[in-house]
Amino acid sequence: MGDGIYWPTFFFLLFSALACGFALAVVFSRNVVRMAFYLVMSLASTAGLFFLAGEDFVGAMQLMIYVGGTLVLLIFGVMLTSQKQFVEMKTPAGQWIVGLVTGCALVALLWMAAFETPQWQPISRAEAEAVAVQPTATPIGVALTNGRVDQLDQPDETLRGGMSSYLLPFEIVSVHLLVVLIGAAYLARAKRRSPSAAAPG
Amino acid sequence: MNLQTIVNSLISDTVTTSLPLFKPELVLCVTIVVLLVTRLFPGLNKIPPFAIALLGGIVALWASLPAGGIADWAKIERQELFTGMLTYDAVTAFIRVFLMAFAVLFIVLARLTGLADREDGQDFYCLAFGSIIGMCIMASANHLLTLFLGVEMASVPSYVLSGVVKGRRRSSEAALKYAVYGAGTAGVMLYGVSLLAGILGSAHLPTMAQQLVEFDIAGKLAEGDQYMQVLVLALGGLMLGVGLAFKLSAVPFHFWCPDVFEGASAEVDGFLSVASKAAALALLVRVGIGFGHVPGETPESVAAAARPTATVQLAAAAADVPPAVRLIADEAPVTDGDAETADAAADTGPLSPVRSFFVQVVGIVSVITCTFGNLAAYGQKNIKRMLAYSTIAHAGYMMMPVAAAVALVGRDQAAAGDAVSSMLLYAAFYLFMNLGAFAIIAFLRNSMQSEQIDDYAGLIGRSPLVALCLTGILVSLVGIPPMAGFIGKFRIFQSLVEAGGPLMMFMLVAAGLNTAISLVYYLRVCKTVCIDSPPDTSRPVALGFFASAYVLALSLPVLAFGILPNSIAQWAQAATAGLFG
Amino acid sequence: MHHFMLANLLTEPVGVAHYMAVGAVLFVCGVLCMALKRNALGVLMGIELVLNGANLNFIAFGSRFLRGEGQGLGLDGPLMALFVIVLAAAEAAVALAIVLNFYNNYDSVDIDRADQLQG
Repeated sequence: MGDGIYWPTFFFLLFSALACGFALAVVFSRNVVRMAFYLVMSLASTAGLFFLAGEDFVGAMQLMIYVGGTLVLLIFGVMLTSQKQFVEMKTPAGQWIVGLVTGCALVALLWMAAFETPQWQPISRAEAEAVAVQPTATPIGVALTNGRVDQLDQPDETLRGGMSSYLLPFEIVSVHLLVVLIGAAYLARAKRRSPSAAAPG
Repeated sequence: MNLQTIVNSLISDTVTTSLPLFKPELVLCVTIVVLLVTRLFPGLNKIPPFAIALLGGIVALWASLPAGGIADWAKIERQELFTGMLTYDAVTAFIRVFLMAFAVLFIVLARLTGLADREDGQDFYCLAFGSIIGMCIMASANHLLTLFLGVEMASVPSYVLSGVVKGRRRSSEAALKYAVYGAGTAGVMLYGVSLLAGILGSAHLPTMAQQLVEFDIAGKLAEGDQYMQVLVLALGGLMLGVGLAFKLSAVPFHFWCPDVFEGASAEVDGFLSVASKAAALALLVRVGIGFGHVPGETPESVAAAARPTATVQLAAAAADVPPAVRLIADEAPVTDGDAETADAAADTGPLSPVRSFFVQVVGIVSVITCTFGNLAAYGQKNIKRMLAYSTIAHAGYMMMPVAAAVALVGRDQAAAGDAVSSMLLYAAFYLFMNLGAFAIIAFLRNSMQSEQIDDYAGLIGRSPLVALCLTGILVSLVGIPPMAGFIGKFRIFQSLVEAGGPLMMFMLVAAGLNTAISLVYYLRVCKTVCIDSPPDTSRPVALGFFASAYVLALSLPVLAFGILPNSIAQWAQAATAGLFG
Repeated sequence: MHHFMLANLLTEPVGVAHYMAVGAVLFVCGVLCMALKRNALGVLMGIELVLNGANLNFIAFGSRFLRGEGQGLGLDGPLMALFVIVLAAAEAAVALAIVLNFYNNYDSVDIDRADQLQG
C-alpha cells in the first residue's frame, strides 16, 4: 500500500476527462445529431463519477433515467425534426469569442473558489480508505418515507435539526409528473374537432 | 431506526399535523385525478369538466380559509410541515387564499371565453391546477428542494398553457420561448442552489440561516484570505436570483415577457401576470427572510450578542477585496448612517451582511425593472404587449417593499411585517386589476378579433360598460386616488419611508417618477377608448350577460377597495403578524 | 491551489473541490450551449449539461468518501440529485412536445425563426 497508485483517483481522472471532453464537444459541434451523441457520452461519464463518490444508487438512476430515458427522448426529437438544412448550425464568430471569454472567466472563478475553500479539500488516503462502505439505496428509501438515518452520524445539533425527510417532494412530484404527462399529450395530439368560429387567440 | 419508528413518526407528524394544513393543495390534487378519471367512463364523461373543476376550485378555496374567520390569521404561529419541507404561517395562508380565489376566477374566465372547451377542458384545468399547486409550494418553501420543486411545478405546466392554442404560430412560438428561457434560468438557479447548499452544509432554510451566523461573513472578509468562501456565497445567491428574476420578469431576465404575453392568449397572460408573479414574490420573501433572519430571533437578542467591531472591520476589508464581495461590504456605511439617524438598535447582527446584500440587489433591480417597464410600454400598439411591459413595471413596484422588509428585519420586526403586508395588499389589488384587464381583452378579442389598441377607438359608444371598466382598471394601475391602486402604492411608499436610508429614498424617488411616467401610456389607452371616434370599419361589440357580469365583478372591487380599503388591509396586516416567529 | 490540484496526483484521493471543478466545466459548457446554439434542441442539451453540473455538486457535497463522516450535506445531496433527475425528465418531455408543436407550425427548430413576436 502506501504510495502506490490510488485507483479511485485514476478512475476519477479518466471519467472527469471524458465528461469534460464530451461536454466541450457538445459546445463545439455544429451537427445536432453528433451533439446528442456527445451528450450521451458526457452524462454517462458523469454517472461513473457518481459511482466513484460512493453514490451507486444515484449513478444507476442517472444511467437509467437520464441516459436511458431523457436523452433517448431528446435524440428522438432530433430525429423527428432533423431536416438537412437545420442539422448544421453556424454561430457567428463574434458570439463565439464573447462566449468563450466569459465562459473561461467563469470556470476560472469557480475553480478558484473550489480549491481555495478549506472544507472542500481532499481527506488523506488513510482516512479515505477507512471510510466504511454502507448501503446507499436503503437510506434513500427511508428518507423518501419519513426518516433520516444519517441523523445518527451527525454530531452538529443544528445540522441535525435541518435534516428533513423527503416524503412530501416524493409524493408531490408524482402529481407533477401526471400534470406534465397531460400537458405533453395535449400538445402532441391533434385537436379533437375543428376549431369553432370564435377561435381564441 | 426501524419500521415502527417510521410508522409512528408518519402518524404523529405527517397525518395529524402536516396533512390537515395541506388540505387546499390536496383538494386540487384530487380534482386533477377526478378530472382525468371521469373521462374514462362512458357514464361519467357526460359531466362537464368545467363543473368538476369549478367544484374543486371552490372546495379548495373553502379549505384554504381559516376555520375561525380571517381574524385567526393573527394567531397562526409559524410551524414547519413535513419535517421542515414547508413552512406554514399566515403569509402562506394569505397567499393560498389568494391563489385559490384566482384559480376559481381563472377557470370561470377560461370557460366564458371558450379557451377551455368541452373536449380539451380537462387538460386545461389540470394544467392550471398543477401550476397552482406548484405556486403554493413556492409560497411556503422552507427547503432548497421545495424551492426548486415549486418553481418547476409552477413553470412547466405554464409553458404548455402559453401554447394552449395549438394551431397558431404565435402561440407555439410563445410556448417555445417561455420553455427554453424558463428551463435555462431554472438550471442556473439549481447550480446556485447547489453552491449554497454545499457551502452551508444544509438545504433547510432556517438551518442555513443559523449556519450563516456561524459562518461569520464579517470575520471571513476581515481575514482577507478567506473571501473566496464569501464569494461562493455571493455567487450562489446571485444564481438563485437569476431563477427568481425570471419568474418575476425582473430586468435583466424580463426579455421573455413581452413576446410570451403577445403570443399566448389573454386569459393565460392573466394567469402569468397575477398568480405566477404573486407566488414568485412570496418566494422572494421566503428567500430574503429565510437567509436574512434566524427564526425566533429579535433585534434585542441580536444586539446583546453583536460584536460592535464587525462593521468597522467590514469597512476596512472592503478596500482589498474583489468587486462582487465589495457589494456586500459597501452596505456598512449605510447601516452606520442609520445608527446615527435612528435611535433604535442598528442592524449589526451577524446576518446583516447577508441582508444588505439582498437589499441592495433587490433594491437596484427593482428600480431598473420599474423604469425599464414603464419606458418600454410607450409606443406599443398591441394591448397585450403594453400590459406585458406594465407587468414588468409592477413587478418592480412590488419588489420594493420586499427589499424594505429585509432591511427592517434587523431593526424593527413589526415594521418589516408591515412592509410585507403592503406587498401582499398590492398583490391582492393587482389580482382584480390585471385579471380584469386581461378578461376584457379576451372578451373584446372574441367579438372584435383584434388586440390592437387603435381598434379600441370609440369603445365607449359601442360598449359603455366595458369601456368604463377598462378605464377604471387602467386608472387604478397608474395609482390615481379613488382607485385601489392608489392605496396599494401609497402603502408601498410608506414602507420605503419606514425603512429609511439612502437606497430606500432613491427607490422612493424612482417609484414616484415612474408613476408619473406611466400616467402617459395608460391614459393614452383611456383616451383612445373614451374620446377618439371609432374607425369606419368598426365591428359591433356584444358581450353576453355572464361576460358582462364577470367584468363587473372584477372591476367593482377595484373601486370599492379604493374607497374602503380597511377590510382587506386588515387581512394583509394580520397575515404578516407572525412572520418572524 | 496548485498544491491541491497537482501534488500527489494519482496517489492521494480527490476531494469535493475536484468534483466541483468538473461540475463547473459542465455548467459553463451548458451555459455556452444555451447562449450560442440556435437550434432549440441544442439549447435543451445545454440545459441538461447545466443540470448535471449542479447534480455533480450535490453528489460531491453529500459523499462520505470525499469529506469524511458527519460533514457536508449527508443524504440531502443524493436525494436532491435524484429529484433533479426526475424533474429534468419531466421538463425535457414538455419542452420536446413544445418543440415538436413549433416544428409542425414552422417546419423549423431554429430559434431565430421565432421572430414573429419582435416588435
